[in-house]
Amino acid sequence: MDYYVNLEHRSEEYKKYHEENRGKYATVKERATTSTVAGRSNSRRNRMKKKFKFFSVRSGMDMPFLFLVIVLLVIGVVMMFSASYAYAYYTMGDSYYFLKRQLLFAVIGVLCMFFISYFDYHHFHKAAVVILGIAFLLLGVVLVLPPINYVHRWINLGFTMLQPSEIMKFALILFFAHWGSVYFTRMNTFKYGVLPAICILVPTIILLIMEPHYSCIVIVTILTMIMMFLGGVEKKWFIMAIGACVAIFVILYVTGLLTYAMERMNGWGQALEYTTSDMWQDTWQTRNSLYAIGSGGMTGLGLGQSRQKYLYLPEPQNDFVFAIVCEELGIIGAVLILAIFGLLVWRGITISLRAKDKFGMLLGMGLTAQVGLQVVINIMVITDLLPNTGISLPFFSYGGSSLVMLLAQMGVVLSISRNANINKT
Amino acid sequence: MAKIGSSNMLYRRGMAVLLIILVLGFGTGVFRLVQLGIFDGEELQQRAVDQQLNDTTISAKRGTIYDTNGKILAQSATVWKVVMSPIYFKDDEERTIVSKGLSEILGKDQETIYEKTKESSYYVIVQRQIESDVKDKILEFIDKLEEDHGITGVVSLIEDYKRYYPYGEFASSVIGFTGSDGQGLEGIELKYDSQLTGTPGRLITAKNANGTEMPFKYEQKVDAEDGNNLVLTLDETIQHILEKYVDKGIEENKVINRAVAVMMDIKTGAVLGMAVEGGYDLNDPFTLVSHTEQKTIDALPLDQQNAAESAALSKQWRNKAVSDTYYPGSVWKIITSAMALQEGKITDQSRYNCVGYYVPFDGAQKVYCHNTSGHGEQTFDQALCNSCNPAFMMIGQSVGSAKFWEYYQAFGFSEKTGIDLPGESEDIFFSTDGSMQPMDLAVASFGQNFSITPIQMVTAVSAVANGGKLMQPYVVEQITDENGNVVESKEPTVKRQVISEEVSKYLSSVLEQNAQAGSGKNGYVAGYRVAGKTGTSEKLTYTNGAEDYIASFCGYAPANDPQVALLVYFDTPTGDSYYGSTVAAPVFSNIMSEVLPYLNVATQYTAEEIAQMDTTADNYVGMEAAAAKNNVEAGGFTAIVKGTGDKVLSQIPTAESRLPQGGTVVLYTDSDSVKDDAVEVPDLTGLTVSEANAVASQYDLNISISGSNSALEGISYAQDIPKGTKVSSGTVIAVSFEQDSNYGTGIM
Repeated sequence: MDYYVNLEHRSEEYKKYHEENRGKYATVKERATTSTVAGRSNSRRNRMKKKFKFFSVRSGMDMPFLFLVIVLLVIGVVMMFSASYAYAYYTMGDSYYFLKRQLLFAVIGVLCMFFISYFDYHHFHKAAVVILGIAFLLLGVVLVLPPINYVHRWINLGFTMLQPSEIMKFALILFFAHWGSVYFTRMNTFKYGVLPAICILVPTIILLIMEPHYSCIVIVTILTMIMMFLGGVEKKWFIMAIGACVAIFVILYVTGLLTYAMERMNGWGQALEYTTSDMWQDTWQTRNSLYAIGSGGMTGLGLGQSRQKYLYLPEPQNDFVFAIVCEELGIIGAVLILAIFGLLVWRGITISLRAKDKFGMLLGMGLTAQVGLQVVINIMVITDLLPNTGISLPFFSYGGSSLVMLLAQMGVVLSISRNANINKT
Repeated sequence: MAKIGSSNMLYRRGMAVLLIILVLGFGTGVFRLVQLGIFDGEELQQRAVDQQLNDTTISAKRGTIYDTNGKILAQSATVWKVVMSPIYFKDDEERTIVSKGLSEILGKDQETIYEKTKESSYYVIVQRQIESDVKDKILEFIDKLEEDHGITGVVSLIEDYKRYYPYGEFASSVIGFTGSDGQGLEGIELKYDSQLTGTPGRLITAKNANGTEMPFKYEQKVDAEDGNNLVLTLDETIQHILEKYVDKGIEENKVINRAVAVMMDIKTGAVLGMAVEGGYDLNDPFTLVSHTEQKTIDALPLDQQNAAESAALSKQWRNKAVSDTYYPGSVWKIITSAMALQEGKITDQSRYNCVGYYVPFDGAQKVYCHNTSGHGEQTFDQALCNSCNPAFMMIGQSVGSAKFWEYYQAFGFSEKTGIDLPGESEDIFFSTDGSMQPMDLAVASFGQNFSITPIQMVTAVSAVANGGKLMQPYVVEQITDENGNVVESKEPTVKRQVISEEVSKYLSSVLEQNAQAGSGKNGYVAGYRVAGKTGTSEKLTYTNGAEDYIASFCGYAPANDPQVALLVYFDTPTGDSYYGSTVAAPVFSNIMSEVLPYLNVATQYTAEEIAQMDTTADNYVGMEAAAAKNNVEAGGFTAIVKGTGDKVLSQIPTAESRLPQGGTVVLYTDSDSVKDDAVEVPDLTGLTVSEANAVASQYDLNISISGSNSALEGISYAQDIPKGTKVSSGTVIAVSFEQDSNYGTGIM
């Protein structure tokens, strides 16, 4: 491993030599990844064995990661309950309305998580393209279904609301993990590194704009970039992409379009200033989120003592649950919870880096990064650093299908951890 | 494990992603949370609390204003305010229901209310000051809204207070009135606003965003402290007397610029009455009293109407007694006399020769006396009784301008009196340092060309009467709290001793002479030893080409033990006469002759007065007719026996009635005679005393004389029982006499 790093700085001659070697490794690797296909065609016995090995338990799963997940889930459900009970009481007539449902899905989710942790994540390799296809299909379907809250974001399954964008996020990570592990030698080329990302990202963004679901666009874009980055796409593309973003930003700012855009985006950044009556209404949720955070101060009003949840902050159980957390537990409590999230991200990425293969590494890091990314963007939304466009906080925000989805994804990470070379206690 | 080159890159890139997420992402989040929660926390918390707390003001009841005898002059009563929280309307249907219902109950335009329901506010006032009957209807309506339509929390009632002035157009300039928010706008209401207002209480409850209370109890109540009550020095009876006669004076003399009467308790400086007419209705202060003025304003172009109306209103509200200045005119001679006497410039030997004019210094213009043929050589007493201008110019010169200014200040003219009424004006003297030109001093000696306020004048004259002690005038004598405990009691304050006791006594006796027989005799009241001085000052302005004057009279009674001082002044009379002696003095006399008995001031008749006095009839009922007749005649009356009975059954006038010497007493001896006896009252006006008495006698009626003592020379102008009324014979008819207005001696 080390010699390779050193080689990079050596003469052209050595580089040339090295490139030949790298080609060799790639060939080996490609052969390895197609081994299942070979196995299937070569041996019936092997296929029987494969079926039997639906669960591949090499060793135990990572206990610190599991612990962090459970801790966040418990705190999340408690805080969601605290944030929601006044709203539930006034709108549903039952203070426990959201708690009951969230608990049910938490149990289902945890079961799913454990189930999937035993599942051999390599099976996703084959399913990557299919899942991506399904995700696109659902993103299309949701557009033709009647809107809920004026947006095409959910598919009503009766017992829960399914967000196709949640599926899409997983599908993207899965696909790029698959792609990156298969074509990791060619990821530095435009054709294999950049083009597929554009081909997948652009239609996704278009579909999400039609929903609309802007914060999800931000997430899928960043996730795609992370996956490309991890997959080995050359840095110049990122520099170009970031440069383009900065350029667009500057142009918008200089021409004054940015202010206009910010106003259009539900008064982003202007929650505390009264401009127009409509704007005051639009920024209501963000403003009351800021009030809640400010009211909490350093130590908070105490668990259950939030006042902003008494209908001032609309739907406090959803995207803005963390504002109530800040109000009740204060900045100290909030920062502690963020620290737990940070640990989770750290542990997830550490596990993934020790995964036994590239697919596991990419998949695990992608799923973990998604959690971290979503936390960061959620915090930015509730603190009015980003426009209020609907991004939930993992483990905290109410939502059955997304909680189950999240826990299932954590199950995948746990599954990876079973095969990872890491101290799991 | 994939410990190969590409994994190495993946490892580095993975760590980079981790660092970016943790440091950049989480770092920004934490930074922002700390910024909001700790640095901006206080402001955000305040804004949150502002919306979470329901802060209801509990109105404090405004204090009551009483007159000195405890009669209520101003009082607050509970009324209600109808308010809406239109933010809670769910749809236009609800808005229509509520606006329709409210417009029916309140009699207001539905459109106007509907507009208010569109506002996105928690507090919109629909109607102020509704009375309890309307309140009950609103309460029913609120119940109905909830039961029939499920609309709650939209309409509510808030307790409020309304100010009532039981006497309406009475002492308006003194009492003042309050605005729509209960704040004092004029008079005592303004001056003592902080005392009267009290401290509003607050009820703070936590509420959710729908405005209903939160499940947890958070309530903080601060009770309202009702305002303090005021007891004025004003006496309702005296005030009414003042207003009655001032009104009459305004009407009779066609006064165009309002009039003032101020009565002061000499020993304390307490204002017993302050009439500034024409007053306005305190319950409706924003309506112009003067119809002609209203018409003038209505005729103006629209854009000027508002300004004109507010100017007219502020003029209407202006307390002329403290806010306006005037040239005091000859009344000022009291002050000039006081300073000269105190300085020893007037002795028994002092003589003042009046040739009809005076040249104050070489080369100066002649200054004429009102008596252009001259008063000749006069003593000081005569000069004052003649109100001789040349004599007073000489007296003024003997005092000198430096001393004049000194006394001017000592009598309190150079400063505000400090009376507890708003808007007091300052004097306007020739200069701010008191220096005067020789001609200034000359005309100032008889009260021309410098301006003072009426309250300053009556306060200074009170000091002359009060043994030289200048008192602090005041209107509020006591402040009590809501339970009647005395919070503050005003003690009379002596500002300074201006002149000596002796000078005060001597000047009083001269002023009494003046009121009895001098230029001020129209101000005389029999039996009360009135002292006083007339004044007719030139305003140096012109109305319809004629010069404007102020007719005033200032005096006090009784001269030997002064109790009350009174200044009356009429600004610009345009009737037959404009003299203080003819316009103001009779009003002074009329007021004093009612107020002094009311105050139980002991009468001190002179021998001459006793001779003219009415006597009382004895009781003759039950006596033998013949014996009764003898008794009646023995009492100095004329007896008329009616009926055929032996004994007197009834008599007119009844026992203890007052009737003039030689009046008629009718004795009835049977019941028929009582019934049948009726005479028609003749016209007794326009007659002298003896003529009136003669006419009355013809009809077997009696007269009683009222009016100034000079009635003996006067002409009757009114009778209490109108002509043509059927009365029993013997009835006493009160006839009022006054000086022939042509009698005016042209007193400057």
